[in-house]
Amino acid sequence: MTPALQAPALEVTRLSKRFGGLPATKDVSLTVMPGERRLIIGPNGAGKTTLFNLVTGDLTPDTGSVRLFGQELLKLPTQQRVHLGLARTYQILTLFPKETLCHNVVLALLGLDRLRWNVWAMLAGQNHLYDAAREALTLVGLGNVADRTVAETSYGERRRLEMAMALAQKPKVLLLDEPLAGLSQEERSQVRELLGRVPRDVTIVMIEHDMDSALAFAERITLLHYGEVIVEGTRAEVVADPRTKEVYLGE
Amino acid sequence: MRRGAIVLIAAAAALIAVPFVITNEFYLNLASQILIYALLAVSLNLLLGYGGMVSLGHASFIGLTSYSAVLLLNAGYGQLLTAVFAIVFSTACGAFFGLLALRASGIGFLMITLALGQIVWGIAYRANNLTEGDNGIRYAARPQPFGIDISGAPNFYWFTLIVFAVALFFIWRLTRSPFGAALQGARDQPRRMRMLGHNVWLIQWFAFVLAAFWGSIAGLLYVYYNLFISPHAISLQQSAEVLLMAILGGASTLTGPIVGAVIITLVKNVVSTYVDRWNSLLGAIFVIVIMFMPFGIVPGLRQLWMRARAPKKTERAA
Repeated sequence: MTPALQAPALEVTRLSKRFGGLPATKDVSLTVMPGERRLIIGPNGAGKTTLFNLVTGDLTPDTGSVRLFGQELLKLPTQQRVHLGLARTYQILTLFPKETLCHNVVLALLGLDRLRWNVWAMLAGQNHLYDAAREALTLVGLGNVADRTVAETSYGERRRLEMAMALAQKPKVLLLDEPLAGLSQEERSQVRELLGRVPRDVTIVMIEHDMDSALAFAERITLLHYGEVIVEGTRAEVVADPRTKEVYLGE
Repeated sequence: MRRGAIVLIAAAAALIAVPFVITNEFYLNLASQILIYALLAVSLNLLLGYGGMVSLGHASFIGLTSYSAVLLLNAGYGQLLTAVFAIVFSTACGAFFGLLALRASGIGFLMITLALGQIVWGIAYRANNLTEGDNGIRYAARPQPFGIDISGAPNFYWFTLIVFAVALFFIWRLTRSPFGAALQGARDQPRRMRMLGHNVWLIQWFAFVLAAFWGSIAGLLYVYYNLFISPHAISLQQSAEVLLMAILGGASTLTGPIVGAVIITLVKNVVSTYVDRWNSLLGAIFVIVIMFMPFGIVPGLRQLWMRARAPKKTERAA
C-alpha cells in the first residue's frame, strides 16, 4: 500500500481565489510529478505568486484543492505543510537582516527540529545545526561569508541565502519564486548551475517572469495569464504554441 | 568574554555587599523593591523586547499571585504550598490570558491585555468579601525558607537577590536558547517563520506563559515584601510603569529593564521626597532619554562605548 509513491508531488485541482471582484486565480489545475522541474511563467499580474501563496497557506483559496503526495493541504496551517516537505523562497526577500547568514539558515533548520522548544540549551552550542547551516551555505557558494550579517551582503547573495534556507530543510517539493530576478548574468549562471545540482528526489516548481532566463531549467512549462492556465506542456510545445507568443509579444 | 565574566562577578559582589554599605533600613528596603520591579520588568520584556508584543496588563500577575497567596495562607495552607499554588494559579491565568490576547496582534493585543489587567483590578476592587476591596488585605508573615528568618531588611534583601539572580539566569538562558531565537524570529518575520515550519502562535503563547510565570515570581516577592496587597498595586498605572521601565532601559537588551526599574523606582520613592512634581521629572527623563537614545539607555550607552573605543574608524569614515 504505497499510493504516495505514485501520487503526484504536487496536485492543484480547480483552484480559485478572488480578491474582492478581481479573480487572481481562476480554476487552476496542474499536476507536478515527483522529481519534475516545472516552470511557471506568465506576465506581471498573472497570478503566479498568488498560486504559491495558496499552495503554502499564506492565502486561503475560495474553492479547489491542493495535494502534496496525495495529501490534502488546504486544512493545514502553513507550518504543518512545511513539516510535510514543502519549502519556498520569496520573490520579495523576507530575511532576518540583523542576523548572520548562518543564523538565518539555523532558523530554517530549527523549524523542523524539536529543539526549537528548548528554553535552556545554548543555541550557539548546537554544533550540528551550525555545521548543517554552513554546509547549506557552502552549497550555494556563500560558505566564506557565513558569518556576515544579511545587511552586509549583496542582493545576489541574499537571493542565494533564500535558496540555502530552503535547501537546508531538505524539502520534497521546493517552490522558487523568481530566484533569478535582479541577478547579474554571472550570478544567474551560478544559480542555474546550483539548481542543476539539486538531487532528483526534490521536486522543483519555479516561477519566472522572464522566460528566456529559465527556459533551460524547465522540463514542463505552465503559462499563466490573468489567473488562468493558458498553455501547458513540454518546453518545446509551450515555446511553439502561438498563444505563448501572443501573451508575451502581444502586449 | 573574559571581561564579561569580570563585570558579572563585580556586579554580583556589589549587589551582595549592598546591605553592608546601606545600613539605613529604608534604603535597603528600596533596594529589595528595585529587584522585585526589575524582575517584573525583565519578565515583561520577554514579551515586549524579545517577542514584540506590547502588554499593558503585566501588573495583574502581581495581583493574581499576591491575592491567591493571601487567600491560601488564610485558608490554612503552609508557606511552601501557598507559594507553589499561588504561582501555578497565576501562571495558569496567564496561559488563559495568552489565549485571549493572542487572538489579536499589535494594538489589538495591547487592548486585550489592558482589558484583562483591568478585569483583575476590578475583581480585586469589587469582590469585597474576598479581597476587602480598596482597603486591601494582609499577608500574615514572610516564610522562613530552610528555617532562615527573612523578616529583617538585610536577610530579605539577600533572599530577593537570590530569587532575582536565579530568575535572571533562566531568562538569560532563554534569550540565548533555540526557543529564544525562534521567538525573536517570530517577532521580526512571522510569515517567514511559518514558512520555515515554526508555529508562530504557539511560540508567542509559550512566551506569554513564561513571562506570566516569572511575573508571578515577582508577584510572590511583592507580597512577601509588603505583607499586603491592595488594588493599587495592580492598577493600569502600575502596568504602564513596568512597561516604561523596559522601554526606558532598552527593550532590546536583557539588562535594560533592570536599569529602567532602578531609575523609575528611585525617582518615585527618593526624588519624590525632595521634588513635589516627581511625575513631571520622570516624564522629562523619559523624553530626554528617548530623544538622545531612542532605543533606551542600555543600547544607547553601548553605542557610545563602541564609538569611544573605535574613534579612528569613525574619523576615517567621516
